[in-house]
Amino acid sequence: MSIQEAPRKAISRLSLHRTRWGLLISAIFVVVVILAAVFAPLVSPYPPAAVDLLNVNSAPSAAHLLGTDALGRDTLSRMIYGARTALYGPIFVILLSTILGVILGLWAGWAGGIIDAVITRIFDIVLAFPALLLAILAVALFGKGLTAPIIAMSIAYTPYIGRLTRQLVSGEKNRQYVSAYQVQGFAPGWIATRAVMPNVLGVVGSQTTQNFGYVLVELAALSFLGLGIQAPAADWGNMINEGQSALVAGNFLPAMIPSLAVVLIVVAVNSIGGWLSDKLGDPFA
Amino acid sequence: MKNKALKLTAAAASMLMLASCGSASGSMVEKPVMNLTDSTPAAAGELDTLKWSLYAEPYSLDYAYAFDYSDNQVLANICEPLLRLNPDLSVAPGLAAKWENPTPTTWVYTIRKNVKFHDGTTLTPKDVVASLNRHLDPEVGSSWYSAFANVKSIEATGKDQVTITTTKPDALLNESLSGAAGVIESAATLEKLGGDYGNASGGVNCTGPYQLDEWSSGEKLSLSSFDEYWDKDLAPKAKKLDFVVMTDPVARVNALKSGEIDGGWMIPSNAINELQATGTGQMYFGTNSAVSSLVVSNPEGPLGDARVREALVRSIDRNGLVMAAESGYATATDSLTAQGVWGQQPKKVQEAAFDQLNEYPYDLEKAKSLVKEAGAEGREITITTAPMGNNFNVVAQATAAAAESIGLKATIKTVTPNAYTALFSDPAAREGTDLFFTNWYLSVGNPLEMFSIMRTDDFSNYGGFSSPKYDKAVNQALFSEKPEGESKNLLEAQKILNEQLPWLPLYETPTTLWMSDRVTGTDVSVNYLYYPWAAQIGAK
Repeated sequence: MSIQEAPRKAISRLSLHRTRWGLLISAIFVVVVILAAVFAPLVSPYPPAAVDLLNVNSAPSAAHLLGTDALGRDTLSRMIYGARTALYGPIFVILLSTILGVILGLWAGWAGGIIDAVITRIFDIVLAFPALLLAILAVALFGKGLTAPIIAMSIAYTPYIGRLTRQLVSGEKNRQYVSAYQVQGFAPGWIATRAVMPNVLGVVGSQTTQNFGYVLVELAALSFLGLGIQAPAADWGNMINEGQSALVAGNFLPAMIPSLAVVLIVVAVNSIGGWLSDKLGDPFA
Repeated sequence: MKNKALKLTAAAASMLMLASCGSASGSMVEKPVMNLTDSTPAAAGELDTLKWSLYAEPYSLDYAYAFDYSDNQVLANICEPLLRLNPDLSVAPGLAAKWENPTPTTWVYTIRKNVKFHDGTTLTPKDVVASLNRHLDPEVGSSWYSAFANVKSIEATGKDQVTITTTKPDALLNESLSGAAGVIESAATLEKLGGDYGNASGGVNCTGPYQLDEWSSGEKLSLSSFDEYWDKDLAPKAKKLDFVVMTDPVARVNALKSGEIDGGWMIPSNAINELQATGTGQMYFGTNSAVSSLVVSNPEGPLGDARVREALVRSIDRNGLVMAAESGYATATDSLTAQGVWGQQPKKVQEAAFDQLNEYPYDLEKAKSLVKEAGAEGREITITTAPMGNNFNVVAQATAAAAESIGLKATIKTVTPNAYTALFSDPAAREGTDLFFTNWYLSVGNPLEMFSIMRTDDFSNYGGFSSPKYDKAVNQALFSEKPEGESKNLLEAQKILNEQLPWLPLYETPTTLWMSDRVTGTDVSVNYLYYPWAAQIGAK
């Protein structure tokens, strides 16, 4: 087991997809978070940066359903706006890593030989570096914020998709429908992209859903370390970090609410990903 | 499996309920009671071991680099300066039994007899000369060089006498020798240890009531009482003294609550109520020399205009900031000098220093109009901060919000604590920074120390503030052979800083001390940075 596999397995176990209710609750939760993120200006009770210094770290009340933070900002409003960055980062990473991974995996699996060997070794090298480490390196080189970590993590996640695609394509390549296309004189590129690729995308899609949870946790960790989204922007990782100071005063709500949100969204997304895997068939199951 | 989802939901709901119970005490609208005191009840007995918390590991125990709270609160018990800083920030004899000022540029110190270093050797003028001359040595690069900037020579002028000659009269030099700048080390030890002096492997060999036994990096510094200590009134009451390094504030506060650690200085203000509620010890508040303020570091930016600086001060609800950043354990101020450092001035001067100040109440409309008048609307400022505590975060974010509310554009730049420290010494580190937060403390009980750093081109005048009238007043107070009307000059300097706001004053915090019910005895004052305070602590 590699160093990265342990936390990945731990995160992937956070799933409720084998129960109908679990899946339903997960789906509802994800939809609610997405809607909150999209319609944040409409549903947020206060502007996320509105400071009220005389009402700091207050308990939940009618005016502030989830209380306030160390600057008297409404925690619920910051959670709603924080959902935007919580989803925005992982979506970009998943899109980029999936596009890159599918292209490289398809090429390696279809071409085989030296191309397959080179691409596979590159995947192995990239996999040797934890995604979070690459993201921290990118921040050190290019500065704080989301852009550098998104690019670094997209690269780090590409091998997961690439290896899966390569393995699926290698299997598909020997199937009869491929031979039929070849006999009829279709170009190899056409067969690979138009005939084989659609057959593997379903499984790849379920894997990307699972990756979403990992990426979300890692980007939140980056913000928690002060390397991702910068204050005063609302971000769940940032909120956990800032909430730490209230722990000294015995007030754990400001840190716990965003922590809980990160756990719940990961559980929910994993549940949906797990259900998709069951439906589409997981080649590694 | 079906129950898992329900269990998870139930667990989440319970945690939220628990959390909301816990957070009820977090909201604080009323300012808490904060009674200042000079001392704690005298100790009744001795202790085997006194365990004290340190929020950070000392950078060095070399007095030339002891420039921070964590260094000096340890060093004060091991090494002593020529003079002593009393709790009221007045100066008294220390290793120098007396001093004279026969001419405006000559200071003569009579060295106390029969003072032993921890290795058993006796203190001589040679040790004093060697110790003080290090501050003048460019190779040493002493953090306290500025205190010796006007020193021409430091020489032994008798078998128990040392004379310091200055190039011009210096009103701060003598008082500076009551701090780390005046610490005396054995000349032989300095020579023997060389580059290892003051670090975890080399250690120190001084004359204080405690001697350093072991420094376990990142963990603790173990001290033991020095039996041959010269001042029998300050003979240590605890045989052993352990400084435990606890950088995590939550862990530190929990250790204080449980009694695992006997006490600590600089208690996080947001933990004071929590600690007091435990009933396992006592919280004390004492004199301080510090003012928390925002350092303006870019004269080319919008804050180069005094009107914008005034606007920003007026846009920050500083009474609210006291509640949010310090849980109410502070007092908003319009002065860059703390009331405590005026204590040695005549009563009339003390009162005038604060009565004459312009007040800058929270007034958004006035602030907006000042920004508009200065043509600074839409201009950008960068506030640099570091993850160094709740107050740093709150001040940075509240200032950014205030700046935005009056039409400026504010960006917060978070750097590492080390990079933050560099802001105070490296001009390159300050590039791109308009503002940064500081809790600036004075090492002597004299506002002149603060005023001197705001003179044109002074090293710590980070924002390039310049006023000929101000320079003249401060220089007259500092260098005049017979500084007639020194009080007048001090008041003039205080007034100009208050009007021009080269730094933005926020609030004054008291010195905070927590001691468990097991121990008592020390004074409560910022002098703990230079005075052997731990020797006073014993059993109740």
